[in-house]
Amino acid sequence: MNTLITILFLVFAVFILVAAIMTVTVKNIVHAALWLISSFFGVGALYLLMEAEFLGVAQVLIYVGAVSILILFAIMLTRDLEGSQNRQLTPRWWIALLVPAALFGLLIVPTVMTHAWQLPPPPAGQPPSISGAQQIGTAFMREYLLPFEVAAILLLVAMIGAIVVAFEEREQRRRVLTLAEQVRLRRQRQQQVATLPEPAVSAVQPSEATGGET
Amino acid sequence: MTDILRSWIGSALPDWLIVLIAYLIVTTIVLFYAVGNFILMVWAERRIVARMQDRLGPNRVGPAGLLQPIADAVKMFTKEDIVPRNADRWVHLLAPVVSLAPVAMMLAVIPWGRGWEPIDLNVALLYIVAVSAVSGVGLMMAGWGSNNKFALLGAMRAVAQLVSYEIPAVTALLTVVVLAGGMSLLNLPHLQAGVPIMGATILCNDPAGCSPLLYTTITSFPGSPNEPVQALDLGLGWWVFTPVGLLGFVVFFIAALAEGERTPFDIPEADSEIVAGYMTEYSGMKFATFYIAQYILNFALAALAATAFLGGWQGPGVAALANMGGPWVHAAAALSAFYLLAKIWILFFVMIWLRGAFPRLRVDQLMDFAWKLLLPLALVNILSASLMVSITQWTGAQWSGVVNLDGFASWQRQLIAVIVTAIINIAATYWILSINQRPAEQEWDEELVVAP
Repeated sequence: MNTLITILFLVFAVFILVAAIMTVTVKNIVHAALWLISSFFGVGALYLLMEAEFLGVAQVLIYVGAVSILILFAIMLTRDLEGSQNRQLTPRWWIALLVPAALFGLLIVPTVMTHAWQLPPPPAGQPPSISGAQQIGTAFMREYLLPFEVAAILLLVAMIGAIVVAFEEREQRRRVLTLAEQVRLRRQRQQQVATLPEPAVSAVQPSEATGGET
Repeated sequence: MTDILRSWIGSALPDWLIVLIAYLIVTTIVLFYAVGNFILMVWAERRIVARMQDRLGPNRVGPAGLLQPIADAVKMFTKEDIVPRNADRWVHLLAPVVSLAPVAMMLAVIPWGRGWEPIDLNVALLYIVAVSAVSGVGLMMAGWGSNNKFALLGAMRAVAQLVSYEIPAVTALLTVVVLAGGMSLLNLPHLQAGVPIMGATILCNDPAGCSPLLYTTITSFPGSPNEPVQALDLGLGWWVFTPVGLLGFVVFFIAALAEGERTPFDIPEADSEIVAGYMTEYSGMKFATFYIAQYILNFALAALAATAFLGGWQGPGVAALANMGGPWVHAAAALSAFYLLAKIWILFFVMIWLRGAFPRLRVDQLMDFAWKLLLPLALVNILSASLMVSITQWTGAQWSGVVNLDGFASWQRQLIAVIVTAIINIAATYWILSINQRPAEQEWDEELVVAP
């Protein structure tokens, strides 16, 4: 069984790495997002391989189900999708390389130096479940209560911020007319134009009309 | 399955291969089951909707038109596969697969009968939610890869609807998690044994005098270290009979309609507005794949609703047959599988019925409905569910002296819990409905009306 797990691990690892590399190298930005999603999926599979079912499922739920959908939405709401003529490298690409490399080194060097690689074999019988939903819940509510609460408040702030950004004051709120109302309004105007000697002044500036609430 | 295979060919093959073969067989059975139901569902929907609209429906191919789906399948297979010239070829090709695969994966954790569970995952409910969210990626790929305005609009609508209706659906499922004390789907039917409203709380006072046909040993009270008890069990202690379960079921079922894009919520593929939504540029077998994905999603969601709130495979007679032991256990399994299937089909019939009865919602109505009605109701329901659990399960120490219910029998506690939650849920439903029915204030300034 152990060799099987190793083989599966290698398959997933190669898959994740290929997907990640494709994410940063493909020219089409939607393809990049799709590669990123498959990379997320591979990470979820790795969690499952470690029998961390909750983490694996949460990874799929949050990253594949929510984050990637947000990314796709954001991409499709931006212009210039055909990125094939865009440059891939800016003149300062080496800074972009340096910062992640330094951060990665900061993470990996202490780990490699100090980690106890030769773990004692787990006690027979009940395998130590490090990542069940219950353990995670207990950890959140006891040891990591402060980070948990801070993260919750951050998310709340982000949500309120989104509402503030999208909110329109009541005085500035405009109603979008239905088709029937538009037709009626146009008829009224035509009648006004027909009856009045001088052209009637439009109730609305044309510039205002373009920025209506949809 | 693994055990059977082990006993047959255990000596000939290594163990991992046996496990692999066993899972392959189980997967095949489940997929055939789902696809067989899909074929019948297509036929049933066409016939029933036709009946509701005073038409005949497909009635030529085979008896009562039963072979019509097969004729359709042959047509689909032989149709030309058209890919638009400017489409993103690979994304266009992969989109139906990406939308079908997660839906098929949902079937893996549903207990199809007593003892008939493909896999036991202890985070099964979360798994279903996560996996059903993945199909949104498939829809997005279809909409974008087709290089068609209608397809992209449909995909945007579909994903927006999927994302916003996931919230009430998950919140409604949370009540089940609270009641069951865990996210495993396997346990849910066992917990819904007993009699309506009271659940498995009517205990047997005299262990010798209780017939095993009426009383079963209930070991698994949710999340409590109670000893096994003999309780009256008609297989009808479904959560839908309690106030908490009823409200949860209604919210979940409506949200499931929206996730499955059933008619009051079929905005993403509104034929009269945007051709066929994200499926516009698909033909032949790729279109059929989307079609299968949709029906199997409805099938799986109905199975989930039935398992979570309608007792799953639980029904009158299952426990009695299982208690008789010997070969009767298999009869109990078959009967239980029949019960689940019957519940799924009743729910599916309600979906068809709604399709025959209601017009399509507008997008703003859709969003209002999810955020102003379903979500508050589901949140109140979580409060009720926690009260239900604390009243029926907690000891005096857990209440830390606030109330002490230790002196009451379990059926009395259940009755108290049902009454308390019924009051809360009815009041909250009435209040939220009345808020929503209040005429909206004038939200805009008449002088700033947008002119055409």
